Amino acid sequence: MSFLLTCPNCGVREVTDFGYGGEISPRPRSRPTLRELGEYNYFRRNVAGVQREWWFHRSGCRAWFIAERDTRTNEVLLTELPADSGNGGAA
Amino acid sequence: MSIAFLSPATAGDTAVARSPMERTAKAAGARFENRDGWNVAVEYPGEDRVRETVGFTDVSHLRKLEIQGDEVPGELGEAKREGDAWICQLTPTRSLLLGGVHAVPPDAVDVTTCFAALTIFGPLAREVIARFCALDLRPQVAPPGSFRPGSIARQPGMILVQDTDRFLLLFGWAVGEYMWSVVDDAARSLDGGPVGSPPTENQ
Amino acid sequence: MSRLPNQPRELINRDNVIRFTFDGKPVEAYEGDTIGSALFAAGRRTFSRSFKYHRRRGLLCCAGQCPNCIVAVDGAPGTRACTEPVREGMKVEHLNAQPGLDLDVMRATDLVGTKFTPPGFYYKTFIRPRKLWPVYEKVLRHAAGLGVLRKEQPDREWRTEYRRRHADVLVIGGGAAGRRAAAAAAEQGDDVVLVDEGPFPIDAIPGVEILARASALGFFDGIVPVWQGDTLHQIRARRHVFATGAIEQPLVFAGNDLPGVMLSGGAVRLTQLYAVRPGTRAVVVATSDRGLVAAATLQDAGVAIAAVADVRESLSAAARRLSERGIEVTPGHTILEAKGGKAVDSAVLGPVGVSGASVEKTFDCDLVVVSGGFVPAMSLLLQTGAQTRYDPARGCFVVDKLPPGVTAVGDVAGVDEDGADGDSAAAAIPPPVSGAGRGKCFACLCEDVTAKDIKLSVEEGYDSIELSKRYTTVTMGPCQGRMCQLPAIRLMAKETGQLLEEVGTTTARPPWVSVPMGVLAGRPFEPAKRSSIHGRHRELGGNIKWAGDWRRAYDYGDPQGEALAVHEAAGLIDVSTLGKLLVRGADAGEFLNRLYPNRFSDLRPGRIRYGVISSDAGRIVDDGTICRIDDETFYVTTTSSGAGAVEEWFSWWLADWRLRVRLTDLTQGLSAVNLAGPRARQILSTLTDLDCSPEAFKYLDGKHAKVAGVECLILRIGFVGEVGYEIHFAAAHGEHVWDALMEAGRDHGVRPFGLEPQRILRLQKMHILVGQDTDSESTPFGAAMPWIVKLDKEEDFIGKWALEHYAIEEPATRLVGFTLGNGYVPTEGSVILDGLGVPAGQVTSARFSPVLDRVIGMAWVPSPLARDGSQITISDEGRTTEAQIQTKPFYDPEGEVLRS
Repeated sequence: MSFLLTCPNCGVREVTDFGYGGEISPRPRSRPTLRELGEYNYFRRNVAGVQREWWFHRSGCRAWFIAERDTRTNEVLLTELPADSGNGGAA
Repeated sequence: MSIAFLSPATAGDTAVARSPMERTAKAAGARFENRDGWNVAVEYPGEDRVRETVGFTDVSHLRKLEIQGDEVPGELGEAKREGDAWICQLTPTRSLLLGGVHAVPPDAVDVTTCFAALTIFGPLAREVIARFCALDLRPQVAPPGSFRPGSIARQPGMILVQDTDRFLLLFGWAVGEYMWSVVDDAARSLDGGPVGSPPTENQ
Repeated sequence: MSRLPNQPRELINRDNVIRFTFDGKPVEAYEGDTIGSALFAAGRRTFSRSFKYHRRRGLLCCAGQCPNCIVAVDGAPGTRACTEPVREGMKVEHLNAQPGLDLDVMRATDLVGTKFTPPGFYYKTFIRPRKLWPVYEKVLRHAAGLGVLRKEQPDREWRTEYRRRHADVLVIGGGAAGRRAAAAAAEQGDDVVLVDEGPFPIDAIPGVEILARASALGFFDGIVPVWQGDTLHQIRARRHVFATGAIEQPLVFAGNDLPGVMLSGGAVRLTQLYAVRPGTRAVVVATSDRGLVAAATLQDAGVAIAAVADVRESLSAAARRLSERGIEVTPGHTILEAKGGKAVDSAVLGPVGVSGASVEKTFDCDLVVVSGGFVPAMSLLLQTGAQTRYDPARGCFVVDKLPPGVTAVGDVAGVDEDGADGDSAAAAIPPPVSGAGRGKCFACLCEDVTAKDIKLSVEEGYDSIELSKRYTTVTMGPCQGRMCQLPAIRLMAKETGQLLEEVGTTTARPPWVSVPMGVLAGRPFEPAKRSSIHGRHRELGGNIKWAGDWRRAYDYGDPQGEALAVHEAAGLIDVSTLGKLLVRGADAGEFLNRLYPNRFSDLRPGRIRYGVISSDAGRIVDDGTICRIDDETFYVTTTSSGAGAVEEWFSWWLADWRLRVRLTDLTQGLSAVNLAGPRARQILSTLTDLDCSPEAFKYLDGKHAKVAGVECLILRIGFVGEVGYEIHFAAAHGEHVWDALMEAGRDHGVRPFGLEPQRILRLQKMHILVGQDTDSESTPFGAAMPWIVKLDKEEDFIGKWALEHYAIEEPATRLVGFTLGNGYVPTEGSVILDGLGVPAGQVTSARFSPVLDRVIGMAWVPSPLARDGSQITISDEGRTTEAQIQTKPFYDPEGEVLRS
């Protein structure tokens, strides 16, 4: 597997420059039930299609950013810093 | 308490500051001089030979300051020349100040010893870097002043294009010996080698 | 000698004779010759023995496409003789034949064993008795295969250079169409690279970097690795132009693999480029004008033309032109059989689709030139995601939809470059096989798969091309389907009654050419992190090993003695590998409060607190100490192996919470050493003005001071259980501070100690090692650290919800200490058995403690057993032993030594 990702800070790099942070699964805003907590911790949607996900530019600026990627083709539709994004995602 | 312990000693201190590549430089026959408290490799045997090909110089003693804040000026992907310093923009809120001796911003963190540094220069500099780094450094894409954080020999790093055919590589202090071995090996395959840091080395 | 007088296009330089050896015998060649042309000129006709039947094989394509001339050069197998230029003194050897190429005993498999070697014969024949498989395997490996690698061969030690190349346009293929495309792109100002795998130099094109004698290996999501001699170019281009040309196809008929059967292109190349006459009397069989013209070339070179058959029903203009020079072309005919022993001596022609002795005609000849048409060389193109469709007019698959940024030009796009003389007629589609029943009709030369084998595979149920491929191994040999994919598809269609478009093609995969593993290995990268004191550890005889990304001293030859020195005098250990983070800003305290289960906002400047990071699932992620430097500045240490992950974890939450916090990773920027032991205080005092008295510098104090002239942060912590000072300072001074401490401690008996003694010392204190004593299931409650979880904290914190749950739920197992009386050290990972003998836990650490003079350890045991004095049973690979549970630290259980 090899594709290009555009780090919002550094520009286009090989995917091997980055760390994958998984799909964005928002942290519950208030105390969840045990079931909700389990789903947040252990369940992922694992979509075959466009997914919002976290990436970390491990070899470069060492910043986290958000990408929208088609998991079937690895086509990256968008990358943005969480500050520029409507929802950060984790919390 | 303060964070003064992050800074290496300077001229006049009893403790001499050493580059992580000092031992490899010594093994390559370097002659050293004390410059502002640093033991700096200033000359290698036969270093004139590599001027036509590619040379590399350990400039780990280059001062590096990290500045973080809401308002950090500058363009991403570029470094700005300010006096004898470079201001390299890493993120919208984080930049590195390389070199220079004046005007330390009050909130700066001294990261001099977080990053070891090599300059690679000469007609074959780009070819040497292409042997261990996937960054696109073609002149039309990365003119002087370009700043490119990215993987160098499978380690996090940054490349500053200081001039045509002159590149400053920054990488972790602890991988200094490893990085020397990679760069030295690649440079030698193109008939290049280490060059001492000139007294007027203008980082 | 079959060398011809000067040919207009010849590449050889007759003034420069090159000498090499083939199987030890001297061969003379001209500069510009290939190994193949030189050997052929010297009279050699058999170049290899086939994979399975050990049949003789000779030059076929002369273009590096087929498997027939693969030889070993200077001991390295896998080189195609027909495209490899001769070099003075090179040693060329045949492959896969014993004792020699011209007398191969394994030929018996062809003569008598055919019916025992159908597709799948390994599985059918060699499964019983099962225990004999190792014997079978040895025999089979000896019989099959394409050469051996010799371990002792000195010139195996070579290295490929990786070279990254970015470009605007990459053109693959240096034929006319590729050169035109490259020139056009360069004129527009694009940065262009052109790659060509042919054996010939390519004329320069302004603005184009030309990589000649270079093979594109594949298309990997936009990266094209190109192998050129000792360099592997990794080319990343914005646009790709494929000018990979077309590949001439063989015909499938009886004896179609005999030496002397040659593709029209091969015969023409031998004649024109190397001035070698491929035979004296030829039969030519073609399906297109492009194949037919070989007859004229051969005639010009003095080869008698015995007969020419054209599979097409009517004579084309090109065929009529041949008759003007006295060559009669028989339309509607094809070849049924090539006959001969060591090489072709005659050929049987007959009408297409009609059989019977009355319509056949036999011609004496020593050369059979065949041309089954030309198919686009699409493999690389298809790896980009391009689609194919079947073109009924051409009888082959052609490229259909191209992905963005990919173009195809020339033959591969269906444009006939060579035959572009305006009047060439359409080609015919040859029958899938002719002359079946007369002898072996090979569909796949690489793997010795015959038309009959494919028929059999269909009969046995392998009725899709992908299944048949795996069963018969057709298309899986060195030619990578170049010579056999279309014939195999045609045979599949015939046997299954499907249309060719229904059969479809097999998936195109890299590598496109055979490539030595060493080329892919490239430059070795083994990133190693080293502390700035590393050189000293080497000089002190340190036993250096990998510890995560780092090279570290495990010990200095005497781990037990080093551990004792820490108890009795002092020890010095390099802990520069610890993760170190600077957390600054108005919200720094709140940030740490949210990240750790315990509280940091109330930590006073100059004080230190231990912290365990938990995940939102309540599991232990990492641990370390946090020192507050001032109101807005915290200095956080992490485990050595967790440093990177913790930095990422911190910055991930920071990206989300957007607190007023500035994070700086100082891991590599600072060296750190731990000076510990009863004499540590005295040693440190000699190097600093700091008041190190127990009253002034208490346990868990952090102080800023100069040590040996170097600004340091000194943390009084006790990982190893004695009074200890963890000294952090700029990495440029690693050796200076180390040397100063060793010198100052010399009279006090200070010794350097490594990781292994540190592991003994910390185990005595039951200080956990995250990842060693904990795993992804461990919670702070199970790990006997309930005190670290502050559920009454005002802030929400990571892990809070799960930890609330674990605070009331009894864990199944708990982490405790154990001691053993008998001196036996159980292996880490040994199983703890419950009362019924069922595995119910495991040993995580175990060591002999020299100061306690017994074996100690830590283990996860069933909670009911996690009490002082309980007896547990440890099963170490079957050996069971009893151990006593202990919940308090083995050494200095109340921490009096530590605080003194």
